[in-house]
Amino acid sequence: MPSLTSPARAPRPARGARRGGPVGDAALPAPGSAAPVRRRGRTVFRYAFALPSILLVLLFFAIPFIANGLFAFTRWTGYSSVITWDGLSNFRLLQQLGVLSHATEVTAIYAVTSMLVQNVVGLALALAMQRTTRGNSVFRSLFFIPVLISPLAAGYIWSAALATNGPVNAVISVFVPGGFHYAWLGHNLSALICVACVDAWKWTGLVTLVYIAGLNRIPERISEAALLDGAGPWRRLRSVTFPLLAPALTFNVVITLVGAFSALDVVFSTTGGGPGDATAVLNVALYNEYGQSFFGMASSLGFVITLLVVLTAVPLITWLRRREVQM
Amino acid sequence: MNARPEKRPWLRYGLLGLFAVPWIGIPLWMLLVNSFKTQGDASVLSLGLPSHWNLVGNYRTVIDQGSYFTGLGNSLLIAIPTILAVLLLGSMAAWSYARSRSRSLRVAYYCTTLSIVLPPAIIPTVYVLTQLGLNGSRLGYMLTIAGTRLGVVVFLATGFIRTLPVDFEEAAALDGAGKWQIYRRMILPLLAPVLVTASVMLIISVWNDFFFALFLLPNTNESTLPLTLYQFASTSTHGVAWNLVFAHVVLSSLPLLIAYVFLQRRVLSGLTEGGVTG
Repeated sequence: MPSLTSPARAPRPARGARRGGPVGDAALPAPGSAAPVRRRGRTVFRYAFALPSILLVLLFFAIPFIANGLFAFTRWTGYSSVITWDGLSNFRLLQQLGVLSHATEVTAIYAVTSMLVQNVVGLALALAMQRTTRGNSVFRSLFFIPVLISPLAAGYIWSAALATNGPVNAVISVFVPGGFHYAWLGHNLSALICVACVDAWKWTGLVTLVYIAGLNRIPERISEAALLDGAGPWRRLRSVTFPLLAPALTFNVVITLVGAFSALDVVFSTTGGGPGDATAVLNVALYNEYGQSFFGMASSLGFVITLLVVLTAVPLITWLRRREVQM
Repeated sequence: MNARPEKRPWLRYGLLGLFAVPWIGIPLWMLLVNSFKTQGDASVLSLGLPSHWNLVGNYRTVIDQGSYFTGLGNSLLIAIPTILAVLLLGSMAAWSYARSRSRSLRVAYYCTTLSIVLPPAIIPTVYVLTQLGLNGSRLGYMLTIAGTRLGVVVFLATGFIRTLPVDFEEAAALDGAGKWQIYRRMILPLLAPVLVTASVMLIISVWNDFFFALFLLPNTNESTLPLTLYQFASTSTHGVAWNLVFAHVVLSSLPLLIAYVFLQRRVLSGLTEGGVTG
């Protein structure tokens, strides 16, 4: 996503120069006064075209986003009609209840696991299916299927597959003498990891396509040159492919991580937050507070998600972009 | 495309196939085959064929008790106008953002693209909708979905329009074409490939949305498919009945899967070539 800005930057200086007025406009035979009028007319229609979109984004994204930063610090419940400033007490209370740091930690583990699985599997699949051949197209469309299934449905499928008597254990039992009956979703850590993997399973197909697009954007001549220089396949992968794949990597890592911070659906349909609260990510905790009409505290948890996103995405983008190689 | 012939494609295909079995094959087969079984059979979660086929019974139960058609109707009623509106309004705004030098429009553009990365603030959204008198209504849900999904369309379309030369638009304007005409006759057709990519992403995210629906659509008669699936699977009598839950999962996933069977080429090439990464 970041690299879309770079091709766009090219025409800008030209237009910027024309904006200076005298230089560009002097060339026009039109009388001097015509230009500003036409320009103003143009600007009005620009605003008119953008207005519906701006209003929607403002009302349903920007205003709620900013309001969340305020509501997080208020006492606001369904039991009283007044909303009052309450400082940090929501966070303090959530911490005392054992929700705040626990849910944050669970969310972080969930998001990192999901991000790693998606990117490792997605990259491996992309390398294996990079070329657009008939056989690869079949596999590409096969591996894309989970993306179309709702995360909720993915959760139901895998909670059955991971059940004690489910196919996952059945397959493992083939290799383990005496059978294998592990309750994947019944133990705290394995439940969290498994739920994160289900989330990853659902989205890996999309990550794969982004990597394929990135791989096919690498000029053939560069890998050919490396080949002629005697670089082996591993060396070509490490020294040519990976550095030039960096924009796709940046995009995938950031999008998958940020997306997983706001996870809810997969948790709802697999463990519902359990066992205990082992998989209660921030949004699940938020829904619980909302369900009890503690809107202020729910906002506080939403604010923590925002903080997580901003505090990881910004440094991550900066760091990853600095490592990107310009072609 | 590639001059070098591949040395061992079958080894690669073999490995891909080997991976596809547990990754795609087993879960989907388990889903399908168990949705045909009786409850007792399905509770074993085996991968074998049903000893007793209960296909009609299961799917009829889902349709009768799982409010499948309510969900399908609501999903269609919500997704189609929302996605069309997002494509139209997003591409209109993108044209402005791509061509304007105005500072305020630039701020609006960045604000809109930020909505792709930043998490939705659901509680204040409920508050805003309540203030507008739209809380709990389909319209409120649709507007919220539109406001949070515009970012993708605006981002992709603005980037694309910026690469197009402005001369044609100016020529058309000199010939007396109106702004709407230029947008309708020039910009929109040129944007077609970008809008295909955007609609694929929109359809996947809007059709499968559960998060916003959970908060914004509390009335069961307005439930979308993911909500009806959740309500069906959460009721204690069905929750343990994998055959019924699976039948609902199959039916809920069917519309997109059917569309995918016919459009997979467009979908995949749209996503790989449509410039998700730019």
